[in-house]
Amino acid sequence: MTRIIGKSIKRVDALGKVTGQTLYPGDRDFENQLWLKVLFARRPHARILSIDTSEAEALPGVVGILTAKDVPVNQYGLQIPDQPVLCGPGSNKKGGDVVRFVGDQVAVVIAESEEIAAQARDLIKVEYQDLPVVDDPEFARSGKAPQLHPGVLNNIADYKRVRKGNPDAVWDKCAVVVESVYRTPFQEHAYLQPEAGTAYIDEAGRITVHCAGQWTWEDQQQIAQALDMPPEKIRVVYDAIGGAFGGREDMSVQIILALAVKYLAERGIYRPVKIIWNREESIIGHCKRHPMIIKTRWGAQANGKLLAAEVEIISDAGAYMYTSNKVLGNTVITCTGPYEIPHVKIDAYAVYTNNVVSGAFRGFGGPQGAFAAEMQMNKLAQKLGMDPVELRLKNALTPDKTLSVGTTIPGGVSMAQVIREAAWKSDWQFTGARPEFNPNYPEDLPRYVTGRGFAAGFKNIGFSFGYQENSWAQVELRGGGDIEEAVVRIAGADVGQGHHTVMAQIAAEVLGVELDKIRLEVSDTAFTESSGSASASRLTFMAGNAVREAAEFALSKWQAEERPAIAEATWLAPKTTPFDPETGYCVPNFAYGYVAEMVEVTVDTETGFITVDRVVCADDVGKAINPEQVVGQIEGAIVQAHGYTILEDFQVHKGRVLTPNFSTYLIPGVYDIPQHVDSIIVEDPHPDGPFGARGMGEMPYLPYAPAVAAAVYDAIGVWFDQFPITPERVLRALGKVRSWI
Amino acid sequence: MHNPRPGLPEFDYVRPASLSEASRFLAEHQGEARPFMGGTDTFVRMRDGFWKEKYIVDVKRLDGMGDITFDPSTGLTIGAAVNMNRVIDSPEVQEHYPLLAEAAKTVASFQLRSRATIVGNICNASPAGDTIGACIVMGGVLKVHGLDGEREVPLTGFFVGPGKTVLKPGDIVTAIRFPVLPQGHAGRYIKLGRNALSDLAIVGVTAFAYPDDTPSGYRFKLALASVAPVPLVPEKAEEILTGKPITDETIAEAAQAAMDACNPIDDVRGSARYRKYMVRNLTRRAVTDVLNRLQ
Ligand SMILES: Cc1cc2nc3c(=O)[nH]c(=O)nc-3n(C[C@H](O)[C@H](O)[C@H](O)COP(=O)(O)OP(=O)(O)OC[C@H]3O[C@@H](n4cnc5c(N)ncnc54)[C@H](O)[C@@H]3O)c2cc1C
Repeated sequence: MTRIIGKSIKRVDALGKVTGQTLYPGDRDFENQLWLKVLFARRPHARILSIDTSEAEALPGVVGILTAKDVPVNQYGLQIPDQPVLCGPGSNKKGGDVVRFVGDQVAVVIAESEEIAAQARDLIKVEYQDLPVVDDPEFARSGKAPQLHPGVLNNIADYKRVRKGNPDAVWDKCAVVVESVYRTPFQEHAYLQPEAGTAYIDEAGRITVHCAGQWTWEDQQQIAQALDMPPEKIRVVYDAIGGAFGGREDMSVQIILALAVKYLAERGIYRPVKIIWNREESIIGHCKRHPMIIKTRWGAQANGKLLAAEVEIISDAGAYMYTSNKVLGNTVITCTGPYEIPHVKIDAYAVYTNNVVSGAFRGFGGPQGAFAAEMQMNKLAQKLGMDPVELRLKNALTPDKTLSVGTTIPGGVSMAQVIREAAWKSDWQFTGARPEFNPNYPEDLPRYVTGRGFAAGFKNIGFSFGYQENSWAQVELRGGGDIEEAVVRIAGADVGQGHHTVMAQIAAEVLGVELDKIRLEVSDTAFTESSGSASASRLTFMAGNAVREAAEFALSKWQAEERPAIAEATWLAPKTTPFDPETGYCVPNFAYGYVAEMVEVTVDTETGFITVDRVVCADDVGKAINPEQVVGQIEGAIVQAHGYTILEDFQVHKGRVLTPNFSTYLIPGVYDIPQHVDSIIVEDPHPDGPFGARGMGEMPYLPYAPAVAAAVYDAIGVWFDQFPITPERVLRALGKVRSWI
Repeated sequence: MHNPRPGLPEFDYVRPASLSEASRFLAEHQGEARPFMGGTDTFVRMRDGFWKEKYIVDVKRLDGMGDITFDPSTGLTIGAAVNMNRVIDSPEVQEHYPLLAEAAKTVASFQLRSRATIVGNICNASPAGDTIGACIVMGGVLKVHGLDGEREVPLTGFFVGPGKTVLKPGDIVTAIRFPVLPQGHAGRYIKLGRNALSDLAIVGVTAFAYPDDTPSGYRFKLALASVAPVPLVPEKAEEILTGKPITDETIAEAAQAAMDACNPIDDVRGSARYRKYMVRNLTRRAVTDVLNRLQ
């Protein structure tokens, strides 16, 4: 029996946050601080011929202006360095004078106040030579489009393929074949707290950046690389983080903050600097979820057994790589669903365009892949006249069935159990497949029509594909006879998900002490190493193991009378392997979580509005270390996925963002979200997880869009292969909004 | 991308002691001064850099601007500075002008409505203004103080274009006045926004009617939001509903006429086609609801 694991204890950050004591990056102020303001390019593709800062520099209160020539290594990136820190002439990297999307940064003003900085920014004269805008990924890779990055043929940023069996040999053995082209939209992270930070030189002479991010160590590396300084001369500290969802994985204000401090120090000025992006700067300045085009064909036998799947994925990477290659890998894994398919052919492309950059976002390519897979499953079920739940159970992965990349899944596969759980708890009943709506012979639908839909999914935990996943933690036990204080040092980012609380629970459990004995020291590269990123649903699993191990080591030292007893651990996850370039064969991941959802909708056939009345979501989390936080993640993921599916509509025209604020880009409010969510926690322990836990922050997101689409089909008989399913799209599909109106 | 520098620009806050002084000040500073009520439009436009006023002229506390008065023989007068929550809560409004409360309730959120005013909504002259339709169909008349003293300006013909009205430099609306409404009237405002709360109208339909000696037995008034450069009165649709016995066909015909009268644009909130189609559907629904309420 565990004492603290499995209990919904109060969050360690609750009091500070509800009383307003906690400092977010924008809340930190220094007496003599200077302010930064960024000049964004605000044009999608152009060469910068010249930058004239003389008038701006002459403005009283302006302390300095940074441009490309001031950046020691003017190229950075999480996966590959392909983005200039500042675009403009004098860049020491090839192509650094070219702006590739509206959010490229051109100059940074340092001034006595934010107002002066903004005024000076508007006085900077930039001479642009506009270049043709590539905004369509299919055109971008066609061979006819301009090349956006030196040496990247046909703008193909990444390509992956899978070959298993031979689909072409079995199509004529299929009783049904479903062929579709899916289009998934952009999505904006819309975290409450826009990008912000402060920077200064600390007492140890390190350039110190306070900000909000997802991986202190990686931020430190990228800053050091761009500034051409050793990493130990850079210190990254996270203040409280107001949401991240993947949008803070890549650099935003980190490098320029450090650069400004360096620039000032070189001129004998030792003053802290501060920046806060406003909402528009945030929306154009950070990445979005990848829009994807997924062309796919699946075939099944009359008994429902899947035989073949062919998939082509075209992912719009936007202007720079960010994590597009890794996201693509996840889409490849999820695009054939949590099912065994003997014959699979996948070709996947991530393509550069001049659209806003795409990057990490909760689910990390999974929601796009899952949408295609689950839509195919629901369409197959309809064509076969079969219960979609039964069809899924028939094909669901088990420990001995192979993924499309040719290997089995380690650590337990509870897909079938989770599907049954969701079906059972939602009282799922199959009453026969609905025929498709025919706009030429419109049915006389009542004003309100209801429907139910089902979808399933699986989501990997941790970074893998050959990367040696690792996470660091340190535990220091102080006291005499009894442990009076246990200091737990971890770097993992609490982005609002409750990571630190869970780490405290694990430490307290292992050490056998009460929670109030635990003191957390977190997210500061001065005394924490790499715990890895707050992404890929990985922190509970990875950092949880590190904390467990460090606590165990410390405890044995304590028992051996060491005072204080200090121990650290770097936990290494089981090995994985990269995609084989020819066949895609690999052991992609060491752990997964499993999810299934039932969704009930009402469609208003007069206005086209969809309301979601009920969601039943079953999730195998291995072990719910803090059940209330698990439910919070399930509900949060569903709300965010609800926006993605129905309401949020990020509009871009020729590379320019038409929805750069929250009056044009709407996210769901309390009256828009599903009326009722039943969160069902399934616990099938993972052998390697801390106390059996699997990661779970992303998976409830995955099946939502296809489950809603299936429910809408059940209601009105229309498959929506493209979303968000806006009222207008609904009415068009029903033949009500016609071109001649 | 119109927001290079959020944060309000510098301006002077002026509080004249009388309406005459305020009118004079506004006229003298034509183009650089504005009367201000709740400021919920003004500050947003200024922050976004669309308006560069040097002076914000607070007239909220002048003669009767903050009063709601009802007189059974002359009607309702709402001072320009009365915020929407007060209008919604007013027993007289609820009893005699419920349509106004219904429309005001669709504006943004409670917080916003504790500042936003009906007169501000009207003077801002956005085609999307949610309370404007109700004011038009119930025969609202603006009381205006200008350089030449007081006058009354009816809402018909008041709107000239998006953000443009017939008000002249120095004009201050002090109140909106409504006549006593005919016995047995009923109204309905249906707003369609992309979300449940806080979006501006993709389309808004106001319908209002009262028993009268006409072929249909009623006189009908309609107004449409967000479908033309100004709040739109679809007169033909009104005539159909007034001039023929009410049947499903008449309602459908009127809804079609309302749709044909409008000339919406495409924007991020919806396409012109969707808007037109919604005008037809929502007009049908609003008229039907009014008929139900009339019974
Ligand atoms: C978050 C948000 C949500 C909103 N949602 C809605 C919505 O759902 N529906 C909607 O209709 N509107 C909405 N608005 C717009 C706005 O709130 C309304 O138009 C409101 O009624 C304006 O009233 P106000 O008193 O704040 O006007 P102010 O901002 O004070 O004034 C608006 C304009 O009218 C002029 N004016 C004001 N008073 C007078 C006067 N006495 N004489 C002459 N001219 C005058 C001003 O000079 C200015 O040009 C929203 C605004 C915000 C910020």
